[in-house]
Amino acid sequence: MLTTWARAAAPADGASPSDEVGAAWQLMADHLGRDAYVRLDRVRGVPTREQRLAQAVVVVDYQPVTPERLHAAEAIFADLARGEDEIAAQAAYLQARLYQVHYSQPDYGRAAELYRALAARQPDSHWAQLGLVKLGLLQLYVLPEPAGPAARLAAVAALLPRIKEEKLQRDVHLQLGQAGTFYGLPLDAVLAHLIEVNRIGGLVGQIEEDLAIQLGELSLRAGHYAAARTYFETYLRDFTPNLRSVTVRRRLAEMAAQEAKAQEGRP
Amino acid sequence: MNLAPLRSGALLLLAGYAVATYWVFTRSTPLVATRPVVIRLAHWQIERGPPEGIAAVIQRYEELHPRVKVEQELIPDRIYRQWLRSNLAGDNGPDIMEWGSWVEGHKDLPARYFTPLTAELAQPNPYNRGTSQEHLPWEKTFHDGLTCPKRDSPDPGQIYAVTITETTMRLFCNAQLLREVTGSEAVPRTYDDLRRIFALTKRYAALTGRPLAALAGSRDNGRAIAETMFSGPLLGLNQRLDDDGNLYLYNRKLLGAYLAGRWNYRDPHVKAGLALVREVAQAMKPGFLQLRRDDAMLEFFRGEALFLYYGTWDATTLRQMVPFEIRTLRLPAVTADDPIAGRWIAGPLGEGQGETTLSLYVNRATPHREEVIDFLRFLTSVPGNQRFTDHSLWLPAINGVQVPEVIRGFRDYQVGHAFGQATYDALGSSVSLVWDRNFHHLAGDQGSVDKFAEVLDQAMPAAIRADLQDEVRNTLLLVRPQDAAILGHASLGDDSPAGQRHRLRQQEMEASQTISEGQLGQARRALDFAKERP
Repeated sequence: MLTTWARAAAPADGASPSDEVGAAWQLMADHLGRDAYVRLDRVRGVPTREQRLAQAVVVVDYQPVTPERLHAAEAIFADLARGEDEIAAQAAYLQARLYQVHYSQPDYGRAAELYRALAARQPDSHWAQLGLVKLGLLQLYVLPEPAGPAARLAAVAALLPRIKEEKLQRDVHLQLGQAGTFYGLPLDAVLAHLIEVNRIGGLVGQIEEDLAIQLGELSLRAGHYAAARTYFETYLRDFTPNLRSVTVRRRLAEMAAQEAKAQEGRP
Repeated sequence: MNLAPLRSGALLLLAGYAVATYWVFTRSTPLVATRPVVIRLAHWQIERGPPEGIAAVIQRYEELHPRVKVEQELIPDRIYRQWLRSNLAGDNGPDIMEWGSWVEGHKDLPARYFTPLTAELAQPNPYNRGTSQEHLPWEKTFHDGLTCPKRDSPDPGQIYAVTITETTMRLFCNAQLLREVTGSEAVPRTYDDLRRIFALTKRYAALTGRPLAALAGSRDNGRAIAETMFSGPLLGLNQRLDDDGNLYLYNRKLLGAYLAGRWNYRDPHVKAGLALVREVAQAMKPGFLQLRRDDAMLEFFRGEALFLYYGTWDATTLRQMVPFEIRTLRLPAVTADDPIAGRWIAGPLGEGQGETTLSLYVNRATPHREEVIDFLRFLTSVPGNQRFTDHSLWLPAINGVQVPEVIRGFRDYQVGHAFGQATYDALGSSVSLVWDRNFHHLAGDQGSVDKFAEVLDQAMPAAIRADLQDEVRNTLLLVRPQDAAILGHASLGDDSPAGQRHRLRQQEMEASQTISEGQLGQARRALDFAKERP
């Protein structure tokens, strides 16, 4: 079905094919997959690489997504991935994504293999670097090897030197921190990653506030009282007061009381 | 006499009538749209207040924007879920709609149908020009910084909604009936005082033969008070399960912890909570679970219940319709000195501390995104929200809005700790269903805490697994289409101001998608742990 999109003649309303593809990207950015599909369907002529990529990408956001359409999209991604340009990297990345999240029966091993191949072929491409982040998620939770939690985290930490983009490094550190608490690993190891996330910054939404609280609370649990106090005070300064502020204030009061008690006990 | 003109006229009239009839029965819109842009806003707050408040805002907005018409659609909460899903599925969804993460069986909607507002919320609201909020990002103008939409976002790196009001739960008391039953005007100061009033009411009803309950009962009101009571003893358990150090427990974490065998319904904290739930259930009339909030309201109106426990959203209706004096009270918290549950109380629970609500979401398929967001900006601006507050007598969500004297007391919150996303009766649709189906084991003269806890632990593993699987499915629904959106933004990114915005958006989406997939990985792992356990 996807191959039938390549047709002769110009777009219906006179817009150039590249205008139509640009408009389709905008619609996809706005989550309007069906409109993007219709827009691309109007494009005539021998499709460019970008147009073929767009036509395959729209499949993952155009309901109903069927296995047949996903397989057809994968064939296009695989074909485009043979190049060496940005589109090749995008296509290779998306081919791996199909195996990780889009197919109803995921194949994590295959996804990991494709991410690794992309990173080897175009290591500096953003899509290869993003692929390493996704590979990290597979290693943390679903790939059979390495098996133990500490080994899983170590394998993902080993990916960090290959990720040059700071924001993507941040995302990996955050995942390492979250996986660390999930698997019950030592708090100091977890905190090292969360501190790095905080240093890089730029998170939005609920996660930003969660991180600010976690830094204080986990520092406290790890016995780093001075750091906990600083993080809690920063939290109270930076975020609108809410229910968690009450607990944070109580934590600060308890720490102050403990310190006062310790002072009293000193000669 | 020539009858032809008469006949033609009659035929014309008949044809006109037929067309008009067809139009009335098949279309709800006027024959000729007087304004080119029509925005539909749907919500379930049909009680007195919000419809009037929103109508007043719409009236002013339409004066400012002659090309836009905003239609307010009031959908009763009994049918809202079905109505919303069928309209969205049929491509006929409203442009703006109310939604809440607690709406059972609807957790997939944001991922399927809503669009994030994160980028817009980072910019100042132009309608705040000349007010105290003028230079602040839109997000920061909300009284609570949009705590609920952030916390309940399906996508932890995105904000999907704006809120327009602030509500809390209150105990509405029939003052005259309180005097009759207790012989005093004294309102309960502690939970133990309330417990005594429950007993006095039972005795008074038996003596007088009057149909009288201490609490007006229905499934809605019952669940509301049960959840408030239940959460007190659960706070300590929640804190114990908070491995992430969030000082707050998300449902997915609790579901996973149950499957890992880290808590169950026979845990002493949970049983202490269940004992409190049983007490309040016994203070309602038998069979209350079959009734809805309107029934409880009528019971209270008829003077057959001493208290009505529900949200301040009913206060305007009560104030306007009830023929007796009402006193509005905070439900006394269960404290550490309580004779039944005191030893399991880890501290006072907060009452929301001004969290805003009535969350409005934008349909991602709206053909009028720009106008929709512009209207939401006006609705949640200082002047717009002031108009809403003045006409609804509901609290505002926006800083800088003057609160009318009559509702100032609603901001007198119980200061206390954060709890978590939900109590253990409402961790998901399946859990909720199992709770309701088995509630008779707890309530009534034959009910008991031990029996209920045991039954729950037999039925809940499957329900909890189903709810965690739902979380997995919903996260997949969210992250899959994000790939196309990320590629869209990437393809439009360049060094122009618009292109830079696309780059920023791409970066934000990549980060939030990775966070969601991390949560997905943990949920899957928790499900695998459960499979591995005997």
